[in-house]
Amino acid sequence: MEICKLEHIRKDYHMGELVTPLKDVDLTLDPGDFLAIEGPSGIGKSTLLYVMGTLLKNDGGSIIIEGEDVSTLSDDEKADLRATKIGFIFQDSNLVQALTLKENLEFARKIGKADGKDLRNVDELLERFGLSDRANFFPHQLSGGQRRRAVAARSLIHSPSLILADEPTNDLDEHWSNEMISIFKEEAARGAAVVMVTHNSERSRQANRRMRLENGVLVEI
Amino acid sequence: MFDLAWKNIQRRRVQSLVTVAITLVTVMVFVMVLGVLQVMNNGLELSKQRLGADAVLIPKYAPTQSEELLFTASPENIYMSEDVLKEAMALEGVSALTPQFYAQTLALGCCEPGEEARIIGFDTETDFILAPFLGEETIKAMGPEDIILGSSMDSDIVGYKYMILGEQLFAAHQMEPTGTGMDSTIFMDIDTCRALCLSSDVLREDWQKKDPYEQISVIMVRFEEGVDPEAFVKQVEDSGMDARCVLTSETITSLQTQLETMMKVIFALWAASMVIAVMALFGRFNSLAKERKKEIGLLRALGLKKGQVFTLVLAECGIMAVAGGVIGSVIAVLSMGYVIDMLKDAFMLSPSVWNASLALICGGSGVLLAVAIGFVSAVGPALRSAALDPQVAITQGEV
Repeated sequence: MEICKLEHIRKDYHMGELVTPLKDVDLTLDPGDFLAIEGPSGIGKSTLLYVMGTLLKNDGGSIIIEGEDVSTLSDDEKADLRATKIGFIFQDSNLVQALTLKENLEFARKIGKADGKDLRNVDELLERFGLSDRANFFPHQLSGGQRRRAVAARSLIHSPSLILADEPTNDLDEHWSNEMISIFKEEAARGAAVVMVTHNSERSRQANRRMRLENGVLVEI
Repeated sequence: MFDLAWKNIQRRRVQSLVTVAITLVTVMVFVMVLGVLQVMNNGLELSKQRLGADAVLIPKYAPTQSEELLFTASPENIYMSEDVLKEAMALEGVSALTPQFYAQTLALGCCEPGEEARIIGFDTETDFILAPFLGEETIKAMGPEDIILGSSMDSDIVGYKYMILGEQLFAAHQMEPTGTGMDSTIFMDIDTCRALCLSSDVLREDWQKKDPYEQISVIMVRFEEGVDPEAFVKQVEDSGMDARCVLTSETITSLQTQLETMMKVIFALWAASMVIAVMALFGRFNSLAKERKKEIGLLRALGLKKGQVFTLVLAECGIMAVAGGVIGSVIAVLSMGYVIDMLKDAFMLSPSVWNASLALICGGSGVLLAVAIGFVSAVGPALRSAALDPQVAITQGEV
């Protein structure tokens, strides 16, 4: 069964004038997919991730995640879906400011539902992302790259089937950019589907599928 | 959820302290106003219940205000002939009469019972004022050297002899707190009190022209059932006796009315300050929710439900409001003793005792008020936070 299926997705913004970043998006993601979506800034790549992640309502088309039609779900059911099946890596490296790095992950672990799978060990994730020595630091005490890695670590705490990563290698040095791609490949290998939005073609080429968002539609590269 | 709320409060320490301070001050003022009102009202009620007399006959031209006579610990030296007592016995509607003799208020010195006290001589045979507290038998069994101490006097001297105005007297009993001027009074047999006036170096000078044994200060009157108090006052006026009648219930009711009016004004001022406090808290909580819009979007993205976000914001605001309420209540309750002492000095009224149950009621009301203020001012921001579109909250609308 496919992990995520988008059919004829349309999204409009009414910002004085009508802006339609997503006009007719079709996409099917299967377990093991590691898809890179390219496109210039402002084209609607982030919007597409938010729509896929049920954070933004589409104005047309349908989204099916692991067999569930998102349009039929209530707000609470969508929240459950996000807590169970979706892992976000936001462009802004959002963390809860009042919590230390470790507490951020523990909090996400508390909210997260593994849906039968084991929730991951916080210390192991911190170790995997090279953050063990920063576990008790608050977000404002971390560098941009460390925050980015922290957000990535948090997104994997509940072993999601769909990982949505918005420019995940921003702020990262060469070593950690490569590590991030390796981690995505590992996640795909365990059966998750990873969607990485980037405008970096070099990183994009490391994925096993590549698409470009152009004029509101996705085209295979 | 409460863990995160608590950590958010700790992290925004200054903002949290300001929020706590707003609630603290509002609740503290509320508890104090409530406490003072309770204590003063209870004091009046206690006076009404415990004074024992329906009316007091005082010398006709005595300058003393009736309130002062009834409630303070410093009565004037007012006297009238003991003949008035015989005339009063002839009045209709009287069930019981008992005379009292006031010696002036004294600042007592070393080895004497307390710093300042008024001295009242009472008739042990006819008394119905002290008897309800100590028992009729105890009163009747009192010897001429026995004295009764008011509750606020030094209890260590009970059972010992002490010098009062140069005479050795025996502190036989001590009253329970009454909430009236009786608490700071020394009671003794009326003739012992008269004798003190003649033997004391301090008082003798005042009694060179009059015989204290022929004088009394007041007559406490108890009515028969069904007596019209106003008609009794008229009867006293018409009798031509050298006394006028002060109705205790009338005096207390008048004082209660004055007190209620004053308290209404204070409550109105406090209510205005509470509205300002609620608005200030609403502003605080609202900006708190706005500042954390992104974080709330993140929590929603992680899978937090609307209800959980609502609970989180409400818990955070609630913890601060309750903390302010509890601290404010505790400060107010602990300060009440001092406030009551100030009131005793400032007013003629005698407040009742500030005890644990009153402290619990007023303090508890303060905490409940804090919860209510917290809820009223936080529910709007909490609902708005819960209703935030997670994507809009995270990206602030960017495409």
